[in-house]
Amino acid sequence: MNRAQRLAILTLLDKEMLANKSWCGETHLQKAIFVLQELLGVKVGYDFILYKHGPFSFEVRDDLSIMRAEGLLDLVVRHLEYGPSYLPTEFADKFIQRFPRTVSTHKAQVKFAAKSVGNKNVNELERIATALFIRKNSKLKTIEKRVKELVKLKPHISESDARTATREVDLLTKQSRQLVFQN
Amino acid sequence: MTKHWHEIRDPIHIFVRLDTDERKVLDSRPFQRLRHISQLALTYLIYPGATHKRFEHSLGVMELAGRVFDTITSDQNVTDELRDLVPEIARPDERNYWRRVLRMAALCHDIGHLPFSHAAEDELLPDGWSHERLSRILIENELMTKIWKEMRPPLDPEHIVKVALGARKTKDLSFTKWERILSEIIVGDAFGVDRIDYLLRDSHHSGVAYGKFDHYRLVDELRILPSNEGSTEPALGIAEGGIYSAEALALARYFMFSQVYYHPIRLIYDRHLKDFLVEWLAEGSLFPGGTFPINVEGHLQITDNEVNVALSSAARNPSAKGHEAAIRIIERKHFRVLYERNPTDLALHSSPGEVIAIAAKSKFGETSIRYSKPKIKDIAADFPVRTRDGRVVPAIAISEVLTSLKPMAIDYVFIAPDRLKDATEWLLKERQKILETASKLEKEDKK
Repeated sequence: MNRAQRLAILTLLDKEMLANKSWCGETHLQKAIFVLQELLGVKVGYDFILYKHGPFSFEVRDDLSIMRAEGLLDLVVRHLEYGPSYLPTEFADKFIQRFPRTVSTHKAQVKFAAKSVGNKNVNELERIATALFIRKNSKLKTIEKRVKELVKLKPHISESDARTATREVDLLTKQSRQLVFQN
Repeated sequence: MTKHWHEIRDPIHIFVRLDTDERKVLDSRPFQRLRHISQLALTYLIYPGATHKRFEHSLGVMELAGRVFDTITSDQNVTDELRDLVPEIARPDERNYWRRVLRMAALCHDIGHLPFSHAAEDELLPDGWSHERLSRILIENELMTKIWKEMRPPLDPEHIVKVALGARKTKDLSFTKWERILSEIIVGDAFGVDRIDYLLRDSHHSGVAYGKFDHYRLVDELRILPSNEGSTEPALGIAEGGIYSAEALALARYFMFSQVYYHPIRLIYDRHLKDFLVEWLAEGSLFPGGTFPINVEGHLQITDNEVNVALSSAARNPSAKGHEAAIRIIERKHFRVLYERNPTDLALHSSPGEVIAIAAKSKFGETSIRYSKPKIKDIAADFPVRTRDGRVVPAIAISEVLTSLKPMAIDYVFIAPDRLKDATEWLLKERQKILETASKLEKEDKK
């Protein structure tokens, strides 16, 4: 996937997130892109580390700046006490239309990612994305071991919330496999 | 009587004060090498005053880092909420330890820079290497660890590495919330003191006054605040009274990038320098492998001085490696701007400069064309603001200036001076056709 195709996928994801009532803040997009790459296997090529609110990619942050510079996204304040939203511009649709093959290849995965995490708040996103990070990067197999790891990494998350998030990740993983199989 | 505090005069901060341990770092070989590493590479060919070095910049970063630390940890700015969030801040011994780590990290943040700083970095180191990785190696090398170990309490080199370079450049290390804030003080997008010092210093030496802003007020108003989006993740933010100085910092950044850092002639000199270095290093007589050395001794031996001697020599000798590029620098026969991207062309193709450069190379030859697309810079990073009524809001919600400053994207195609006239006429005739053809190919969206 080249740079322009990657930006087309991200623009499409932002649109789908908005359609799923996402706040579309940086954290929402970071975590949705993480799900798209790690759960759904879309090769957008980002390097995620455990950082702000769980998995975080500095390269995603760079690409969000690029997308603003190239007129694909606007940074908009929708509520005074929440972070700003990245909203697609009028040019975004025209840009996406330049990449019909890329879009048709990945549309189902993009829709799945947007639907799965689009309308979650920052705290929910932190729990789910970190639980997914543990599932992908540790050798811990059982739910309870992964729950303990999640609480260890993020002490402000309760054991009960960690268990819910870990189970949700397992369910999303199962659903995503079916999606990949269907395609 | 032994002196424990030392003062150095500085054009930006008037005095930079350092203690005896910090003085040992100053006297170390890796730090003294920075006396011979230009802050702005060949920018002095456009702005003659811009000959300052990484040495004084690093001292300035240390001075500012200490001031920021003292502001954000002062009793009046540390709330109960903050003590719960970042417990280290409430423990005096830990606070003193981390203040020393921060100032040492600030001193060392640039010690891995190659000759001429950023200009020569890409393509001149082996894959996977960067100046930050070299800085880390030096901080963890015995030349420096000897100093860290002798301090009371001794400093952990890994702490210095994390704070100096930040998480982006040390992805293998994990950061606590407190370490994240400390690294933000140095390398942060919004209020990193590296950025504050280089804007002020580069502005002063280049004579471009746009880079100045009220950094005293800015530093006084910095606070640790919960980041936005309803989370408790702490970030470096500002009290509302400092919003105008934060706007002034963003404007300074905008003007310095447009007037100095991304000045087209500076960009083409960077490119000529890189062309020279690639050929010079490829000769392999100085350093095997065709790149700058990545071992400590090799790194410490190479500065701007060695490169300047080689440049001058290559310019005089037509059979020398890199002669062509050296002549362009020494005799100031730099390439000229043929094309600069614009919104109309961007609507036709996602990378118009690249497309024009390819067509121009095919018409005028590979050696006559250079393409430059520096990294897109986010001019105004968002940050939390504590309003006068106690709420925490995103800066862009209360600042029209920050909202209107979009990231800066630059895209230039350069051509050899003797081909400029022909190429300008050619581009006038062909530009639309080139972009339309490329646009059609892009729409086919082949993998």
